[in-house]
Amino acid sequence: MKKLVMAFTVILVLFALAVIGCTNKELVGPSPEAEQEVVSTCVTCHTDKDTLKELATTEEAAKSEATTGEG
Amino acid sequence: MEVWEKVWVKDADFLLSTHGKVGCVICHGGDSQKEDKELAHAGLVIDPSDGNCETCHKDIAETHDFSLHATLSGFKSALEARGGSIEEGSPLDTAFENHCQECHTSCGQCHVSRPDEVEGGLVSGHKFRETPSTQYNCVACHGSRVGAEYLGQNAGIPADVHWTQEMMLCTDCHSEELHGSGEVLDSRYHNPDMVKCEDCHQDVWTNTEGNPQHEQHLGDLSCQVCHSVAYKNCYGCHVAIDVEGMPCRTSEPSVMQFEIGYNPLRSSERPYKYVVLRHVPTCSGTCDFYGDALFPDFNAASTWKYATPHNIQLHTPQNESCDACHDNTDLFLTEEDIRAEEKEANKDIIVDEFPETVGK
Repeated sequence: MKKLVMAFTVILVLFALAVIGCTNKELVGPSPEAEQEVVSTCVTCHTDKDTLKELATTEEAAKSEATTGEG
Repeated sequence: MEVWEKVWVKDADFLLSTHGKVGCVICHGGDSQKEDKELAHAGLVIDPSDGNCETCHKDIAETHDFSLHATLSGFKSALEARGGSIEEGSPLDTAFENHCQECHTSCGQCHVSRPDEVEGGLVSGHKFRETPSTQYNCVACHGSRVGAEYLGQNAGIPADVHWTQEMMLCTDCHSEELHGSGEVLDSRYHNPDMVKCEDCHQDVWTNTEGNPQHEQHLGDLSCQVCHSVAYKNCYGCHVAIDVEGMPCRTSEPSVMQFEIGYNPLRSSERPYKYVVLRHVPTCSGTCDFYGDALFPDFNAASTWKYATPHNIQLHTPQNESCDACHDNTDLFLTEEDIRAEEKEANKDIIVDEFPETVGK
Protein backbone atom coordinates (compact mmCIF):
# COMPACT_ATOMS: atom_id res chain seq x y z
CA MET A 1 0.00 0.00 0.00
CA LYS A 2 2.83 2.35 1.00
CA LYS A 3 4.58 1.72 -2.36
CA LEU A 4 1.36 2.41 -4.20
CA VAL A 5 0.93 5.76 -2.44
CA MET A 6 4.58 6.63 -3.21
CA ALA A 7 4.21 5.73 -6.88
CA PHE A 8 1.00 7.73 -7.13
CA THR A 9 2.70 10.76 -5.54
CA VAL A 10 5.64 10.58 -7.98
CA ILE A 11 3.30 10.32 -10.94
CA LEU A 12 1.29 13.27 -9.61
CA VAL A 13 4.42 15.42 -9.24
CA LEU A 14 5.65 14.54 -12.72
CA PHE A 15 2.24 15.35 -14.15
CA ALA A 16 2.18 18.70 -12.34
CA LEU A 17 5.63 19.57 -13.69
CA ALA A 18 4.59 18.68 -17.20
CA VAL A 19 1.53 20.90 -16.94
CA ILE A 20 3.24 23.86 -15.31
CA GLY A 21 6.41 23.59 -17.31
CA CYS A 22 9.93 24.28 -16.12
CA THR A 23 10.59 27.51 -17.97
CA ASN A 24 11.61 30.72 -16.27
CA LYS A 25 8.54 32.87 -16.60
CA GLU A 26 10.57 36.04 -16.05
CA LEU A 27 12.20 35.71 -19.44
CA VAL A 28 10.60 37.74 -22.15
CA GLY A 29 9.87 35.68 -25.21
CA PRO A 30 7.59 35.95 -28.14
CA SER A 31 4.04 35.86 -26.83
CA PRO A 32 0.94 35.36 -28.98
CA GLU A 33 0.35 39.12 -28.63
CA ALA A 34 3.87 39.80 -29.79
CA GLU A 35 3.45 37.55 -32.78
CA GLN A 36 0.32 39.45 -33.70
CA GLU A 37 2.07 42.73 -33.23
CA VAL A 38 4.42 41.97 -36.07
CA VAL A 39 1.54 43.04 -38.27
CA SER A 40 1.41 46.56 -36.93
CA THR A 41 1.63 50.10 -38.18
CA CYS A 42 5.18 50.18 -36.85
CA VAL A 43 6.22 47.40 -39.19
CA THR A 44 4.11 48.66 -42.08
CA CYS A 45 5.84 52.02 -42.10
CA HIS A 46 9.35 51.12 -40.96
CA THR A 47 9.83 48.44 -43.59
CA ASP A 48 8.61 50.69 -46.41
CA LYS A 49 11.37 52.91 -47.69
CA ASP A 50 9.03 55.14 -49.69
CA THR A 51 6.71 55.76 -46.75
CA LEU A 52 9.65 56.64 -44.55
CA LYS A 53 10.99 59.06 -47.15
CA GLU A 54 7.59 60.65 -47.49
CA LEU A 55 7.07 61.08 -43.77
CA ALA A 56 10.62 62.04 -42.84
CA THR A 57 11.05 65.44 -41.25
CA THR A 58 14.21 67.47 -41.08
CA GLU A 59 16.16 66.88 -37.92
CA GLU A 60 17.16 69.82 -35.82
CA ALA A 61 20.89 70.42 -35.70
CA ALA A 62 22.26 68.15 -33.00
CA LYS A 63 25.66 69.77 -32.90
CA SER A 64 26.77 73.30 -32.39
CA GLU A 65 28.24 75.08 -35.38
CA ALA A 66 30.68 76.69 -32.99
CA THR A 67 32.41 73.35 -32.44
CA THR A 68 35.79 73.12 -34.14
CA GLY A 69 38.70 70.72 -34.00
CA GLU A 70 38.82 67.03 -33.37
CA GLY A 71 36.93 65.36 -30.56
CA MET B 1 22.87 58.86 -43.17
CA GLU B 2 19.47 60.15 -44.29
CA VAL B 3 16.81 60.66 -41.63
CA TRP B 4 14.52 58.00 -43.09
CA GLU B 5 17.38 55.55 -43.45
CA LYS B 6 18.15 55.74 -39.74
CA VAL B 7 14.84 54.07 -38.92
CA TRP B 8 14.45 51.81 -41.93
CA VAL B 9 14.03 48.14 -41.00
CA LYS B 10 15.34 47.05 -44.36
CA ASP B 11 15.72 43.37 -43.65
CA ALA B 12 12.34 41.71 -43.08
CA ASP B 13 14.13 38.69 -41.63
CA PHE B 14 14.61 40.73 -38.49
CA LEU B 15 10.91 40.36 -37.76
CA LEU B 16 11.36 36.61 -37.54
CA SER B 17 14.37 36.81 -35.25
CA THR B 18 14.19 36.39 -31.49
CA HIS B 19 14.33 40.13 -30.94
CA GLY B 20 11.98 40.85 -33.81
CA LYS B 21 9.34 38.55 -32.46
CA VAL B 22 9.24 40.43 -29.19
CA GLY B 23 7.37 43.19 -30.98
CA CYS B 24 8.05 46.89 -31.37
CA VAL B 25 6.05 48.45 -28.53
CA ILE B 26 7.31 46.11 -25.84
CA CYS B 27 10.68 47.80 -26.11
CA HIS B 28 9.97 51.12 -27.80
CA GLY B 29 6.54 52.03 -26.45
CA GLY B 30 4.27 53.99 -28.78
CA ASP B 31 1.02 52.66 -30.17
CA SER B 32 1.22 50.10 -32.96
CA GLN B 33 -2.49 50.36 -33.70
CA LYS B 34 -2.46 54.05 -34.61
CA GLU B 35 -1.94 55.01 -38.24
CA ASP B 36 -1.21 58.67 -37.56
CA LYS B 37 2.53 59.19 -37.18
CA GLU B 38 2.30 61.49 -34.17
CA LEU B 39 -0.15 59.26 -32.32
CA ALA B 40 1.78 56.10 -33.15
CA HIS B 41 4.94 57.68 -31.75
CA ALA B 42 3.41 59.03 -28.54
CA GLY B 43 5.61 57.93 -25.66
CA LEU B 44 8.21 56.49 -28.00
CA VAL B 45 11.52 55.39 -26.48
CA ILE B 46 14.14 55.66 -29.20
CA ASP B 47 16.85 53.77 -27.33
CA PRO B 48 15.14 51.28 -25.04
CA SER B 49 18.32 49.60 -23.79
CA ASP B 50 17.82 50.53 -20.15
CA GLY B 51 15.47 48.13 -18.46
CA ASN B 52 15.00 45.84 -21.44
CA CYS B 53 18.26 44.17 -22.40
CA GLU B 54 18.91 43.07 -18.83
CA THR B 55 15.73 41.00 -18.85
CA CYS B 56 17.50 38.31 -20.84
CA HIS B 57 21.15 39.41 -20.79
CA LYS B 58 21.37 39.88 -17.06
CA ASP B 59 25.03 38.93 -16.56
CA ILE B 60 26.34 41.25 -19.24
CA ALA B 61 24.03 44.10 -18.25
CA GLU B 62 25.13 43.94 -14.62
CA THR B 63 28.78 44.19 -15.57
CA HIS B 64 28.16 46.81 -18.21
CA ASP B 65 26.55 49.08 -15.63
CA PHE B 66 30.05 49.58 -14.17
CA SER B 67 31.91 49.79 -17.44
CA LEU B 68 33.71 52.84 -18.78
CA HIS B 69 31.22 52.98 -21.63
CA ALA B 70 28.33 53.23 -19.17
CA THR B 71 29.78 55.27 -16.32
CA LEU B 72 32.39 57.38 -18.11
CA SER B 73 34.40 56.92 -14.94
CA GLY B 74 37.57 57.49 -16.94
CA PHE B 75 36.51 61.09 -17.53
CA LYS B 76 35.41 61.52 -13.95
CA SER B 77 38.65 60.19 -12.51
CA ALA B 78 40.63 62.54 -14.76
CA LEU B 79 38.64 65.54 -13.53
CA GLU B 80 38.90 64.50 -9.90
CA ALA B 81 42.61 63.77 -10.17
CA ARG B 82 43.11 67.46 -10.87
CA GLY B 83 41.10 68.48 -7.82
CA GLY B 84 37.89 68.99 -9.74
CA SER B 85 34.60 68.59 -7.90
CA ILE B 86 31.87 66.83 -9.79
CA GLU B 87 29.37 66.84 -6.96
CA GLU B 88 25.84 67.12 -8.23
CA GLY B 89 25.03 70.69 -9.19
CA SER B 90 28.65 71.85 -9.16
CA PRO B 91 29.97 73.84 -12.17
CA LEU B 92 32.11 70.92 -13.24
CA ASP B 93 29.17 68.54 -12.91
CA THR B 94 27.23 70.80 -15.28
CA ALA B 95 30.16 70.80 -17.69
CA PHE B 96 30.34 67.02 -17.43
CA GLU B 97 26.65 66.64 -18.20
CA ASN B 98 26.86 69.03 -21.15
CA HIS B 99 30.03 67.78 -22.77
CA CYS B 100 31.12 64.40 -21.47
CA GLN B 101 27.85 62.60 -20.96
CA GLU B 102 27.20 62.45 -24.70
CA CYS B 103 29.92 59.84 -24.92
CA HIS B 104 27.92 57.43 -22.77
CA THR B 105 26.90 54.42 -24.77
CA SER B 106 24.15 51.91 -24.24
CA CYS B 107 23.70 48.29 -25.34
CA GLY B 108 21.72 49.39 -28.37
CA GLN B 109 24.24 51.99 -29.44
CA CYS B 110 26.82 49.26 -29.94
CA HIS B 111 24.70 46.30 -30.99
CA VAL B 112 21.82 47.84 -32.95
CA SER B 113 22.36 51.43 -33.99
CA ARG B 114 25.16 53.90 -34.36
CA PRO B 115 25.91 55.86 -31.17
CA ASP B 116 23.97 59.01 -30.32
CA GLU B 117 27.26 60.91 -30.48
CA VAL B 118 27.15 60.47 -34.26
CA GLU B 119 23.38 61.01 -34.42
CA GLY B 120 22.31 57.39 -34.35
CA GLY B 121 20.73 55.34 -37.12
CA LEU B 122 20.19 51.61 -37.49
CA VAL B 123 23.34 49.80 -38.58
CA SER B 124 21.92 46.67 -40.19
CA GLY B 125 18.21 47.31 -40.46
CA HIS B 126 17.60 46.73 -36.75
CA LYS B 127 19.45 43.43 -36.73
CA PHE B 128 21.02 42.85 -33.32
CA ARG B 129 24.70 42.40 -34.00
CA GLU B 130 26.52 40.29 -31.45
CA THR B 131 29.68 41.94 -32.70
CA PRO B 132 29.46 45.71 -33.13
CA SER B 133 30.50 47.20 -36.43
CA THR B 134 34.04 48.53 -36.42
CA GLN B 135 33.08 51.22 -38.90
CA TYR B 136 29.68 52.30 -37.63
CA ASN B 137 30.08 51.72 -33.91
CA CYS B 138 33.65 51.60 -32.60
CA VAL B 139 35.29 54.05 -34.97
CA ALA B 140 32.22 56.28 -34.93
CA CYS B 141 33.33 57.40 -31.47
CA HIS B 142 36.97 56.33 -31.36
CA GLY B 143 37.78 57.69 -34.78
CA SER B 144 39.86 60.80 -34.27
CA ARG B 145 42.85 59.06 -32.79
CA VAL B 146 42.70 55.27 -32.56
CA GLY B 147 40.43 54.72 -35.56
CA ALA B 148 42.45 56.96 -37.87
CA GLU B 149 45.68 55.36 -36.73
CA TYR B 150 44.45 51.84 -37.19
CA LEU B 151 43.00 52.44 -40.64
CA GLY B 152 45.96 54.51 -41.88
CA GLN B 153 44.03 57.75 -42.27
CA ASN B 154 46.83 60.00 -41.05
CA ALA B 155 48.82 61.35 -43.99
CA GLY B 156 52.16 59.62 -44.36
CA ILE B 157 51.55 57.19 -41.52
CA PRO B 158 50.90 53.55 -42.42
CA ALA B 159 47.88 51.68 -41.14
CA ASP B 160 48.26 49.13 -38.36
CA VAL B 161 49.70 45.82 -39.47
CA HIS B 162 46.80 44.00 -37.82
CA TRP B 163 44.54 45.78 -40.30
CA THR B 164 46.68 45.68 -43.42
CA GLN B 165 47.70 42.05 -43.07
CA GLU B 166 44.82 40.40 -41.26
CA MET B 167 41.96 42.92 -41.53
CA MET B 168 41.32 42.38 -37.86
CA LEU B 169 38.33 44.21 -36.46
CA CYS B 170 38.24 46.01 -33.12
CA THR B 171 36.36 43.17 -31.49
CA ASP B 172 38.96 40.63 -32.57
CA CYS B 173 41.10 42.02 -29.76
CA HIS B 174 38.66 43.95 -27.57
CA SER B 175 35.84 41.69 -26.50
CA GLU B 176 34.51 41.16 -22.99
CA GLU B 177 36.63 43.99 -21.63
CA LEU B 178 34.23 46.35 -23.37
CA HIS B 179 31.47 45.27 -20.99
CA GLY B 180 33.68 46.20 -18.05
CA SER B 181 35.10 44.15 -15.23
CA GLY B 182 32.24 44.64 -12.80
CA GLU B 183 34.09 47.43 -11.00
CA VAL B 184 34.20 51.15 -11.59
CA LEU B 185 37.63 51.83 -13.09
CA ASP B 186 39.81 54.90 -13.38
CA SER B 187 40.79 54.06 -16.94
CA ARG B 188 40.80 51.24 -19.47
CA TYR B 189 44.32 50.38 -18.41
CA HIS B 190 43.00 49.38 -14.99
CA ASN B 191 40.75 46.69 -16.43
CA PRO B 192 42.24 43.28 -15.54
CA ASP B 193 40.62 41.82 -18.65
CA MET B 194 42.20 44.32 -20.98
CA VAL B 195 43.78 42.82 -24.04
CA LYS B 196 47.56 42.60 -24.13
CA CYS B 197 49.86 42.02 -27.09
CA GLU B 198 51.17 38.87 -25.45
CA ASP B 199 47.70 37.34 -25.39
CA CYS B 200 48.39 36.44 -29.02
CA HIS B 201 52.14 36.94 -29.29
CA GLN B 202 53.15 34.62 -26.48
CA ASP B 203 56.08 33.33 -28.48
CA VAL B 204 57.73 36.72 -28.27
CA TRP B 205 57.95 36.29 -24.53
CA THR B 206 58.84 32.64 -24.41
CA ASN B 207 61.48 32.61 -27.13
CA THR B 208 63.75 35.59 -27.62
CA GLU B 209 66.46 33.59 -29.33
CA GLY B 210 67.76 35.36 -32.41
CA ASN B 211 66.13 38.61 -31.43
CA PRO B 212 68.60 40.60 -29.33
CA GLN B 213 66.20 43.53 -29.07
CA HIS B 214 63.54 41.40 -27.44
CA GLU B 215 66.17 39.68 -25.35
CA GLN B 216 67.37 43.02 -24.08
CA HIS B 217 64.18 45.00 -23.73
CA LEU B 218 61.18 42.77 -22.99
CA GLY B 219 59.70 43.94 -19.75
CA ASP B 220 61.55 47.22 -19.87
CA LEU B 221 59.84 48.81 -22.86
CA SER B 222 56.19 48.59 -23.78
CA CYS B 223 55.66 46.95 -27.16
CA GLN B 224 54.58 50.27 -28.67
CA VAL B 225 57.92 51.91 -27.91
CA CYS B 226 59.51 49.83 -30.66
CA HIS B 227 56.52 48.95 -32.81
CA SER B 228 54.33 52.04 -33.14
CA VAL B 229 54.93 55.17 -35.16
CA ALA B 230 53.84 58.82 -34.93
CA TYR B 231 50.33 59.24 -33.54
CA LYS B 232 47.91 62.06 -32.94
CA ASN B 233 48.20 64.39 -29.99
CA CYS B 234 45.56 66.97 -29.10
CA TYR B 235 45.85 70.24 -27.25
CA GLY B 236 43.85 73.06 -25.80
CA CYS B 237 40.30 71.76 -25.70
CA HIS B 238 37.82 74.31 -24.38
CA VAL B 239 34.15 73.63 -23.79
CA ALA B 240 31.32 76.16 -23.66
CA ILE B 241 27.68 76.81 -24.51
CA ASP B 242 27.14 78.65 -27.79
CA VAL B 243 24.75 81.51 -28.51
CA GLU B 244 22.06 78.99 -29.48
CA GLY B 245 22.39 77.34 -26.08
CA MET B 246 24.10 74.24 -27.45
CA PRO B 247 27.22 72.63 -26.00
CA CYS B 248 30.29 73.30 -28.14
CA ARG B 249 34.03 72.83 -27.97
CA THR B 250 37.11 74.11 -29.67
CA SER B 251 40.60 72.69 -29.79
CA GLU B 252 43.93 73.42 -31.40
CA PRO B 253 44.94 71.52 -34.52
CA SER B 254 46.22 68.07 -33.60
CA VAL B 255 49.90 67.24 -33.96
CA MET B 256 51.48 63.96 -35.10
CA GLN B 257 54.21 63.17 -32.61
CA PHE B 258 56.00 60.17 -31.20
CA GLU B 259 57.19 60.59 -27.64
CA ILE B 260 58.74 58.03 -25.35
CA GLY B 261 58.54 58.86 -21.66
CA TYR B 262 58.67 57.27 -18.25
CA ASN B 263 55.74 55.01 -17.48
CA PRO B 264 53.09 56.89 -15.46
CA LEU B 265 51.17 53.66 -14.74
CA ARG B 266 54.04 51.42 -13.70
CA SER B 267 52.75 48.28 -12.00
CA SER B 268 53.28 44.54 -11.92
CA GLU B 269 50.96 44.36 -14.91
CA ARG B 270 52.89 47.07 -16.74
CA PRO B 271 56.41 47.02 -15.40
CA TYR B 272 57.92 48.92 -18.33
CA LYS B 273 60.22 51.80 -17.55
CA TYR B 274 59.57 53.43 -20.91
CA VAL B 275 56.25 53.74 -22.72
CA VAL B 276 54.87 55.99 -25.42
CA LEU B 277 52.88 58.97 -24.20
CA ARG B 278 50.02 60.81 -25.84
CA HIS B 279 49.01 64.38 -25.03
CA VAL B 280 45.34 64.49 -24.13
CA PRO B 281 43.25 67.50 -25.20
CA THR B 282 42.90 68.96 -21.73
CA CYS B 283 44.48 72.13 -20.37
CA SER B 284 43.98 74.06 -17.16
CA GLY B 285 41.35 76.26 -18.80
CA THR B 286 39.32 73.52 -20.49
CA CYS B 287 36.23 74.28 -18.39
CA ASP B 288 36.78 78.00 -17.71
CA PHE B 289 33.38 78.76 -19.26
CA TYR B 290 31.79 77.16 -16.20
CA GLY B 291 33.87 78.88 -13.54
CA ASP B 292 37.30 79.93 -12.40
CA ALA B 293 39.95 77.51 -11.20
CA LEU B 294 37.79 74.42 -11.51
CA PHE B 295 40.96 72.33 -11.43
CA PRO B 296 42.66 73.65 -8.30
CA ASP B 297 45.22 70.85 -8.42
CA PHE B 298 45.77 70.72 -12.16
CA ASN B 299 49.39 69.65 -11.81
CA ALA B 300 48.45 66.52 -9.87
CA ALA B 301 47.86 64.61 -13.11
CA SER B 302 50.01 64.56 -16.22
CA THR B 303 48.72 65.82 -19.54
CA TRP B 304 50.84 63.25 -21.39
CA LYS B 305 49.21 59.88 -20.81
CA TYR B 306 50.14 56.23 -21.10
CA ALA B 307 49.26 55.35 -24.67
CA THR B 308 48.84 52.37 -26.92
CA PRO B 309 48.82 53.81 -30.45
CA HIS B 310 47.04 51.58 -32.93
CA ASN B 311 49.51 51.85 -35.80
CA ILE B 312 51.70 48.85 -35.03
CA GLN B 313 54.46 47.97 -37.50
CA LEU B 314 57.06 45.24 -37.48
CA HIS B 315 59.72 47.65 -38.68
CA THR B 316 59.80 51.23 -37.43
CA PRO B 317 62.38 54.02 -37.65
CA GLN B 318 63.33 53.54 -34.01
CA ASN B 319 63.88 49.78 -34.19
CA GLU B 320 66.10 49.85 -37.29
CA SER B 321 69.14 49.63 -35.06
CA CYS B 322 70.11 50.16 -31.45
CA ASP B 323 71.36 53.68 -32.05
CA ALA B 324 68.28 54.62 -34.03
CA CYS B 325 66.72 54.92 -30.60
CA HIS B 326 69.52 55.19 -28.09
CA ASP B 327 70.42 58.78 -27.34
CA ASN B 328 68.02 59.94 -30.05
CA THR B 329 66.48 62.75 -28.04
CA ASP B 330 63.91 63.45 -30.76
CA LEU B 331 62.10 60.29 -29.75
CA PHE B 332 61.92 61.10 -26.06
CA LEU B 333 59.64 63.42 -24.15
CA THR B 334 61.93 66.15 -22.86
CA GLU B 335 61.51 69.51 -21.17
CA GLU B 336 61.49 71.14 -24.59
CA ASP B 337 58.43 69.16 -25.62
CA ILE B 338 56.35 70.33 -22.69
CA ARG B 339 54.44 73.59 -22.60
CA ALA B 340 55.58 75.91 -19.83
CA GLU B 341 52.29 75.72 -17.94
CA GLU B 342 52.37 71.91 -17.99
CA LYS B 343 55.93 71.20 -16.89
CA GLU B 344 55.01 70.59 -13.25
CA ALA B 345 52.16 68.22 -14.20
CA ASN B 346 54.51 66.10 -16.30
CA LYS B 347 57.71 66.33 -14.30
CA ASP B 348 57.71 62.64 -13.34
CA ILE B 349 57.49 61.31 -16.87
CA ILE B 350 59.92 63.61 -18.66
CA VAL B 351 63.02 61.68 -19.71
CA ASP B 352 66.13 63.21 -18.24
CA GLU B 353 68.62 60.42 -18.89
CA PHE B 354 68.91 58.84 -22.30
CA PRO B 355 70.11 55.35 -23.14
CA GLU B 356 73.70 55.59 -24.33
CA THR B 357 74.67 54.84 -27.90
CA VAL B 358 76.11 51.38 -28.40
CA GLY B 359 77.63 51.73 -31.86
CA LYS B 360 75.26 49.27 -33.55
